Order: sequence, then C-alpha cells, then structure tokens
Amino acid sequence: MTMPDTLYGALMLSLIDFVASMVMISGIGVVLALFPLLNRIGRVDEEALRKRHH
Amino acid sequence: MFDQFLSFFGALIDQTGLARFWWGNLVMIALGCAMIYLAVAKGYEPLLLVGIGFSCIIANVPGSDLTQPGGLFHYAYQGVELLIVPPLIFFGVGAMTDFAPMVANPKLVILGAAAHLGIFVALIGAKLLGFTLNEAGAIGIIGGADGPMAIFMAIKLAPHLLPQISVAAYSYMALMPLIQPPVMKLLTTREERLIRMKQSREVTRLEKIAFPIVIGIIVNLFFPPVAPLITMLMLGNLFREVLVVNRLAKTAANDLMNVIIIVLTVAIGSTMSADRFLTVDTIEIIALGLVAFVFGTGSGVVGAKILNLFLKEKINPLLGSAGIASVPIAARVSHNVALEYDSENYLIYHAMGPNLAGVFGTAISGAIMLALLGVK
Repeated sequence: MTMPDTLYGALMLSLIDFVASMVMISGIGVVLALFPLLNRIGRVDEEALRKRHH
Repeated sequence: MFDQFLSFFGALIDQTGLARFWWGNLVMIALGCAMIYLAVAKGYEPLLLVGIGFSCIIANVPGSDLTQPGGLFHYAYQGVELLIVPPLIFFGVGAMTDFAPMVANPKLVILGAAAHLGIFVALIGAKLLGFTLNEAGAIGIIGGADGPMAIFMAIKLAPHLLPQISVAAYSYMALMPLIQPPVMKLLTTREERLIRMKQSREVTRLEKIAFPIVIGIIVNLFFPPVAPLITMLMLGNLFREVLVVNRLAKTAANDLMNVIIIVLTVAIGSTMSADRFLTVDTIEIIALGLVAFVFGTGSGVVGAKILNLFLKEKINPLLGSAGIASVPIAARVSHNVALEYDSENYLIYHAMGPNLAGVFGTAISGAIMLALLGVK
C-alpha cells in the first residue's frame, strides 16, 4: 500500500517516516553501544597492519 | 542578389544558437557567472561552484551540443541519472571519514534523526504548494543537508526537479554557517552553550574495522532502497580503516573523488537550462529548502535538550544542530558557536558524532520514504 497523493498522505508519510527513522537510528545506536564488547575478542596490531600495507 | 544574400545570411543565423537565444538564457548565464564569482572571490564551495557555474553558462548557450545526446555534459548527467555518481561520492566520503566519534558516543546518534524534522516540514509545505507527493518527498530531502542523497532521492522521485533540488541542497550547505547560528542561539540559553563535554573514549582499530562491516549488513538488510549509497560509504571507510590498502583508500579519497566531483558539477550545471530553471517551482523549492534547514537545525537543538532530560551528564545542546548531515560543516558550526562563549570549549569531536549519524538519519528517512511511496 502506498500513501495517497494528498495532504493527508503527506502528513501520514511525515509522521511515520520521522518516528520510524528515530526508532531505526536508535537501533543503530544500541548496536554501537555494544561495540566495546568486540574488544573482548582480542586486539588488532596496528603496527603490523601498517607494515603490511599495499 | 541582395535578397539571396539575406536569405543565406538568415539560414546561417538559424544554424547558430542566436536564433534560439532568449532573455532567460542571459539570466542563467549571469547566474553561472555569479557562482564562479562566489567561488573565486568569496571562497564559497569552489570545488562545486566553479564546475556548476561553467556548465550552467554553457547549457544556456543554445548552439552548444555538449548537453545534447552525443555531448560530454550529457553523458556526465547520465552518470548521475543512472545513479553511478552518487554512490561513488559516498565511496570517496567513506574513505575520508573517521567514524570513531559516532562509535565512541552512541547516545548522540539519536540526534542524527532528531535534526531531520526539517525534511518533513518542507515535505508538507511542498504538498500545500501543490507539488505531487513524490515531488514533495524529493524536495523535503533537501532538509537532510546531504548533497548526494538529495540527488539520489530526486532521481528516484522527481528527476525533472533535479537541477533545482541539487542547487538548493548544495547552496544551503555552503550557507550553513550563516543559517544555523541564529536558530541555535535562539533555542539555547547561555548556560547551555557553556556546557563542556567529557572526553570520549578511545575507539580501537578492531571497532573501526567492524563498523563498516556491521553497518553494511544492517543497511542492506533493513534499508535496501538506499543501500547503494551507504554500502559504498562503508566500503570506502573499510579501505581506510583496515590500513592494508592505503593506496586504494587514498585513491578513493583523492583522485577518484576529484574526478567524480568534476562529473557531478558538470552534470548538475548542464541541467540548469533557462526553460527548466526559470520557473515558479524553482523559487518555491529554494524557499522550502531554507525552511527545511531552519527547522532541521531547530529540531536538532530541541532534540538535544529533550535528551538532556534523561541524561545525568548533560550534553551541550549546540551538538543537536550538527545532526543535520552536511559533514563536517554542521559540526564545525556547533564548534564555532560554542567557542564564541567559551574559547576553550572544543566541541568539534563530539559534534562529529551526531553529524555523521545525520548521514545515516537522512539515508534512513529516504529509505522509509521510498518504501512508503512504493518507489524502488
């Protein structure tokens, strides 16, 4: 179903899009908040990477 | 004999562009010259305005075939229309950008969505002015302050409005240091502007490498309509962060980016022919773009103030306006406004977090809009 090409459609589109964007970007924020856990896996040796660069 | 001469001369004139030259062309040539002047004399976005201005001038010389099929400017536009150029711009931007400020302070990511109210104010305004819903959506995205995304959405939703939308988006991005500060000051108190931010944690190389991979998966999974842009942004960023393909990262961030900027500017300018550009629609779109930027800035600041209601450690609300995408201009504006009140309050690193999140915020808004409008 797509939005009707009316002012009502514009209002609905705006409302749904704004709220959904907030939710989705908050979700990305939650994922990023978990990033420090990655450091439990180990660490990357930056010096070794720099020496290996092409 | 004289009649014959006049008839040959008339035929000759018809072969040139003079026969089709009208005052509108003159206005657009003056506009092109003004862009080049602003770039050269005032330093406003020279990388963009020189190319746009010149191709705008050429597009309004009726005899020129450069903008017609077979002409180089026409093929440059094909690169934009076929959505080859916008993802490549994102590729270069990804290779240039350090996303660590966004990873370091994930709670500020929400400001990347809060600062996009302007998109919807402009969208509703455009609908009230009689634009179709698709056109209104494309106009609204100007408020995301993200040039390639504005182009992407215009091509998807209203390709006939591409010149107006791209010119409005890039012009207001260049003018953000003038547009944003009054709104930011109006919505904050002096005490709020003086809030200092705590130093962010250090982001490790592993996190930096994981970021583009994780975001690439999320975007392709949840937001396929805008995946071409964000995926390329993340590929460029991965090249930068893995440290083992510096050659590719440097090429993406420098040489390739320069080539793409040439193609993009020539493509945009070549669409600015008088018959397409000198319309009431253009004035309305330019006005709506300004409304979008003002409301986006305001909603970002108000969003930061609302966030403060839930935070023990308050954030500086000037960071909110950086949630409007335009990287790094909006972050720099937040930083500079804070410095006006406290010469040792350096907000730039913190402002980059919401600023980068704004890129994702615009992309997500665009993806949801395309889905709701049934456009693939």
